[in-house]
Amino acid sequence: LICLSVGPGAGQDVGRSCILVSIAGKNVMLDCGMHMGYNDDRRFPDFSYITQNGRLTDFLDCVIISHFHLDHCGALPYFSEMVGYDGPIYMTHPTKAICPILLEDYRKITVDKKGETNFFTSQMIKDCMKKVVAVHLHQTVQVDEELEIKAYYAGHVLGAAMFQIKVGCESVVYTGDYNMTPDRHLGAAWIDKCRPDLLITESTYATTIRDSKRCRERDFLKKVHETVERGGKVLIPVFALGRAQELCILLETFWERMNLKAPIYFSTGLTEKANHYYKLFITWTNQKIRKTFVQRNMFEFKHIKAFDRAFADNPGPMVVFATPGMLHAGQSLQIFRKWAGNEKNMVIMPGYCVQGTVGHKILSGQRKLEMEGRQILEVKMQVEYMSFSAHADAKGIMQLIRQAEPRNVLLVHGEAKKMEFLKQKIEQEFHVSCYMPANGETTTIFTNPSIPVDISLGLLKRETAIGLLPDVKKPKLMHGTLIMKDNSFRLVSSEQALKELGLAEHQLRFTCRVHIQDPRKEHETVLRVYNHLKGVLKDYSVQHLPDGSITVESILIQATAHSEDQGTKVLLVSWTYQDEELGSYLTSLLKKGLPQSTS
Amino acid sequence: MSRECSQLLPRVCAALADPRQPGSDDTCLEKLLDWLRDLTELEPTLNVVQDNPCLTEFFTSVLALPEPSPSILSFTLRLAGLLAASEDCFQHLQQENLLFRLFGTGGTLNRAVWEDASVRSGWVEGVHSMMHHQPALHFLCNGGGLDVIFTLQGDPSLFVASAASQLLVHMLTLSVESEPTTPVGEKDCDWPACAQMIIKHIEDSLQSGSASHINQSLKLLTSLFGSCRATWTEVLWLRIAKQVESFLTEDSVQTRHMLADLLLNMSRSPVFCDTEGSFWALVTSALEHLTPVQAGPLAVGILSLHKCPQDVRIQAMTVLLQPMDCILRAASQPLEYAGLLDESVSDPSTVESLLSSKSSCASLLCQTLAHLEKLLSLIHLPVDLPYTALLRSFVTILQFCSGLLIPATSLGNKISQILIGCSRVQKSALDALAALSERKGCDTVIGSLFDILLVYLESPNTSPTVLKKSFQAMSKWLARLPEMSCFNNQWQTEKILQDVFLVLQKRLCSPCWEVRDSSLEFLTSLIKSMRDQDEFRESLLSSEVPKLTENLLEDPESYVRASAVTAVGHLTFITSSLPETPVAGNQYNKEDTTAKLQDILSTDPESFPRRAVISIFTKWLKQGCTDQVEDTAQFVSRAIRTVERDLDWEVRIGGLELVEVFCVQTLCRAGLPKYPSAAASSSVTSSIQQNESLQIFCRAKLFKFLFWSLCDYDKPVGQKACDILLVLRASLSPSGLLKDCQGAGDSSAGCGIPWLQRTLRQGSLAQDFPTDGGNGVDFEDPESMMLALGTIDLEELHDELNKSSDHIEKSPQSLLEDILATVGTIDENEADCY
Repeated sequence: LICLSVGPGAGQDVGRSCILVSIAGKNVMLDCGMHMGYNDDRRFPDFSYITQNGRLTDFLDCVIISHFHLDHCGALPYFSEMVGYDGPIYMTHPTKAICPILLEDYRKITVDKKGETNFFTSQMIKDCMKKVVAVHLHQTVQVDEELEIKAYYAGHVLGAAMFQIKVGCESVVYTGDYNMTPDRHLGAAWIDKCRPDLLITESTYATTIRDSKRCRERDFLKKVHETVERGGKVLIPVFALGRAQELCILLETFWERMNLKAPIYFSTGLTEKANHYYKLFITWTNQKIRKTFVQRNMFEFKHIKAFDRAFADNPGPMVVFATPGMLHAGQSLQIFRKWAGNEKNMVIMPGYCVQGTVGHKILSGQRKLEMEGRQILEVKMQVEYMSFSAHADAKGIMQLIRQAEPRNVLLVHGEAKKMEFLKQKIEQEFHVSCYMPANGETTTIFTNPSIPVDISLGLLKRETAIGLLPDVKKPKLMHGTLIMKDNSFRLVSSEQALKELGLAEHQLRFTCRVHIQDPRKEHETVLRVYNHLKGVLKDYSVQHLPDGSITVESILIQATAHSEDQGTKVLLVSWTYQDEELGSYLTSLLKKGLPQSTS
Repeated sequence: MSRECSQLLPRVCAALADPRQPGSDDTCLEKLLDWLRDLTELEPTLNVVQDNPCLTEFFTSVLALPEPSPSILSFTLRLAGLLAASEDCFQHLQQENLLFRLFGTGGTLNRAVWEDASVRSGWVEGVHSMMHHQPALHFLCNGGGLDVIFTLQGDPSLFVASAASQLLVHMLTLSVESEPTTPVGEKDCDWPACAQMIIKHIEDSLQSGSASHINQSLKLLTSLFGSCRATWTEVLWLRIAKQVESFLTEDSVQTRHMLADLLLNMSRSPVFCDTEGSFWALVTSALEHLTPVQAGPLAVGILSLHKCPQDVRIQAMTVLLQPMDCILRAASQPLEYAGLLDESVSDPSTVESLLSSKSSCASLLCQTLAHLEKLLSLIHLPVDLPYTALLRSFVTILQFCSGLLIPATSLGNKISQILIGCSRVQKSALDALAALSERKGCDTVIGSLFDILLVYLESPNTSPTVLKKSFQAMSKWLARLPEMSCFNNQWQTEKILQDVFLVLQKRLCSPCWEVRDSSLEFLTSLIKSMRDQDEFRESLLSSEVPKLTENLLEDPESYVRASAVTAVGHLTFITSSLPETPVAGNQYNKEDTTAKLQDILSTDPESFPRRAVISIFTKWLKQGCTDQVEDTAQFVSRAIRTVERDLDWEVRIGGLELVEVFCVQTLCRAGLPKYPSAAASSSVTSSIQQNESLQIFCRAKLFKFLFWSLCDYDKPVGQKACDILLVLRASLSPSGLLKDCQGAGDSSAGCGIPWLQRTLRQGSLAQDFPTDGGNGVDFEDPESMMLALGTIDLEELHDELNKSSDHIEKSPQSLLEDILATVGTIDENEADCY
């Protein structure tokens, strides 16, 4: 039985992934994301819904993080250092390396902008990362004796993984975010035909068939090129790591091919660190990058240089990658202020911006922005939005289902309406149940696990002695005593079970009283009964014992006169549980009364 | 509400109610609600509603939609509830017939969108918001709303179910406390109508025999007794006590857990804790009947109470101590330690069977250890725990886990097999052990404690997380060494320390960065707590640890480099106080260390090590450790020259902190008050001292750094710089001095100051501070700087900087503009979270 609760968090909004899976008595939390649109408690999931009683550390067997994006890992230091979860956390090696950079980056922006104190500290991020166990792709990790997990390549971002969670013969696959088409620096997601009981898949683009990424890339290069050609400056606000590197490769290759001279800068020392990780985890990138690695490392850029704040005032064209990505503080915002007034310049927003940020404002078309001190900033520069996010589209999701062949599918991380459409498609095509619970709703899925049972040699020998040779193709019914001990099952003979468990054998007998109208003496009634049974039960051994009782196989029948009514005789029928069938039959036979002619 | 906002609001409402517009981002709606909530706290709600008729129009138009989107309908319900919280506004909305259509049984509930959890959630939240007065209570109770809430208690969405339960608690309390009835008694007719209905529902559910209904009611009661401490709760309890008591023997695990929670909340309420007899008898019985795992939280809660009958306390203690007692007996410890519990009061068979089962042993131990840790961490623990026996039991558990214990008993054998290598139990035991170090009076078993901790520190099987906790426990217990009566033997102490440093040497070379980092953190914490002890200093300096620590300044992992910086910085506190023996002098060259750290500060590509360096420098300065190194002013000056262009603003802040300490020290040394009051002296001597201090600051080039920082990209830097400048101005330029400087704008000394003033006034954050030094301002000229301090309006700047930089983001006008701007844009942008 798999019980699953999606959430915590209210509404069906994007962001803040956190899923709880209960599988065969094990509880696993999948991802621990934060919502960047809030500045208060609402940014973190409400973990009090995970367990009503007891400590989280006792309740959860492990936490798994699929990749380093903050909507999947942003609440982790809060969870482990402030809420107090102290159990194991799993993620891939690149995620473990990169996660703290993004968390630190976000912490600094939060503290910088709002002076917030109720937020995790650098020390907490480090302490949290020290608890993380890093895993390799396709490595089966034994969390405890029963629970095992295995990571599969998910594309999306460096180090992103899908996880298979397995307890006994029950299993769940959680995809996290993934994409099924290789991009400029990463490969496509892949999973083997693991036939899980449940596949939990993201469905961000549940109804979209996305145009090829090549088109978007061409579009991007064209815009940058045009701006630079006319002497304008291009600002690309990015987060420290992820999409930035993809765009860097894109520009670097283009600059090389077109022999362009305009400088490209990358802010605040992030390149070195990011590129260091891309080099370190080169096996996680796509084939092309790996192949060319020997001659030329794609992450060692010739044209991209470190940015200094004084460069912003330099005349002439340039391209600058600056953090943070939503234009809400720090360097990217400062450069934006300087360049916004010139229509020759351009800002390209490569990702989502939350409400309230300058990024959000300009993307929604606002051109007069009020800055500090009531100054009005007029935005004359061009504003472009380019989506480079690497999620699977509807086709990709179907493809993954085809690969993994799950028995059930559960959609998360998407809009209800679009998910409904996809759900119908999945159910139609694959004939499996598809669920799409709202956040906070629990989905229970029943599985029919086949449980392996060891059979004792003695019992097996006894059965084969009767001529029942074991045969895979012909299942046989076998009787024995099932011993469940320390999570293993064994079928043994009842004698052996008694011996092993140190128990004494008890005989269980069923008894039943049948009233018969017969005025004769007791022994005469017994004789009538004996004759009747002997006549009816020809194949059975029916005996009349000297003490006046009758036996039919192991069944015993005795007659006594009714204490109040001498005309009624009471037959006491008693049998062992092994002869339950015969016993019941006999009773029903006797209840019909004795035939008149047998006197 | 500002004029701008009231002009924007009608358009926003119209946009939200327009089904053709793409749905607004959830966060916008949440923030809109936040703003309106704030507004109703500042202004009378009725005025808000009457001044902005667009709000009621919004309700009407949403209600008129054939298929409103769930998020908009949910928002509408929440907003309507919020406004209806004030009684006159409630009446107003009633007159418009809006509330019935929104919350009544014939309204939203009959729509298809009710299937959506967010709509149900909005309904519950809306009702909860309006429940502040009698009319709302009657509106809901008479309109059949209560039945809806009863049903929602079992909602498939956890959020809705939980909110419904909270709502019932709120309504029950409101009903009893706001209606003018006679004091409530046991009879139904004594209670207000609404309360009667809720109580009847509780009673019916408790008697229903349905586990889910029983649990819902227990949950409701738990939060009621947790939040309401009025005497009527006791009357309510008397009505249901019998029924609740019967659940103690119930099979449902969930029910038993709930029961423990309920009793715990009740025991904290003065209404129940003062009662003699029956309630406490129930608690005692619960502690007896519930399994150790179920009773654990209740037991901890009881033991933390300051007011509680002694026999209940003993029973609670038994629950927590029994597993530890079993452990000791299983390990066949000598009799004197086994006496944790008297066997005549407790029957250990249940606990023994739990401990001998693989599936329950670890979880029972972890839970019990966590409970004990929680108790031990309380500052005022109302009970006395048997510390020595506890320590012995923790040590025994750790021995079991490491496979060191070969017990003679069969239970011991089973436990040993289960626990070997179990890191969950190891972590819990180490945490409990660390917490126990705060308690006095458990010195006798200390030898075996250090033995087992050393085993953990040495063993290659110890996982990094367990190792970290072993270090923490070791550091806490080592810090207690000097006060331990049994350990006044210097030789023994030295032996332990030597062993510890031997292990540390090995761990500092671990291939695993987590281990190296934890080792360095351990070293730092040891130095912090033990640096005054001779044995400690000698053992440390005679080991390889200082050398290895210094090597780690070049670790490939930045976290480790940062921890190494901190450790080396603290080591300096020890080495700097050493007599200049030739050996020590060679090995611990302070100038050398300073140069290394200075090098990290200027060249390390990552910010953690740089942050660590600047914070160590500040520590050195605070503790007077730099005096012997070099001229302090020069030291500070060099440090700030390195950090002023650092890419990490937290390093720059660190630089400012260093400057702050330096300034305060200099001013104090000169006898100048840091924060001069009205009584500040204006004597000639003080003026001379001011001048001297000023010159020191100028020579150290502090002012350029401070003024430069006012224009920093990152606001906290500007704020800090401004704070320091304010302190300097207050100390250096009492009013008299300032007057002298007025009108000096034309003299050579004031060159560029008006420019500086102008630049800063233009909004410091928006500007780049010119790199050429700024229009001829001489930041090293005392007179110019005095003038700058006197003429620049630092207070205004301070206010400006302290205004949250996201005040625009937070401003309601910005929010309304954003919502309007989103109207008409393509939805595509929203889906792209990364």
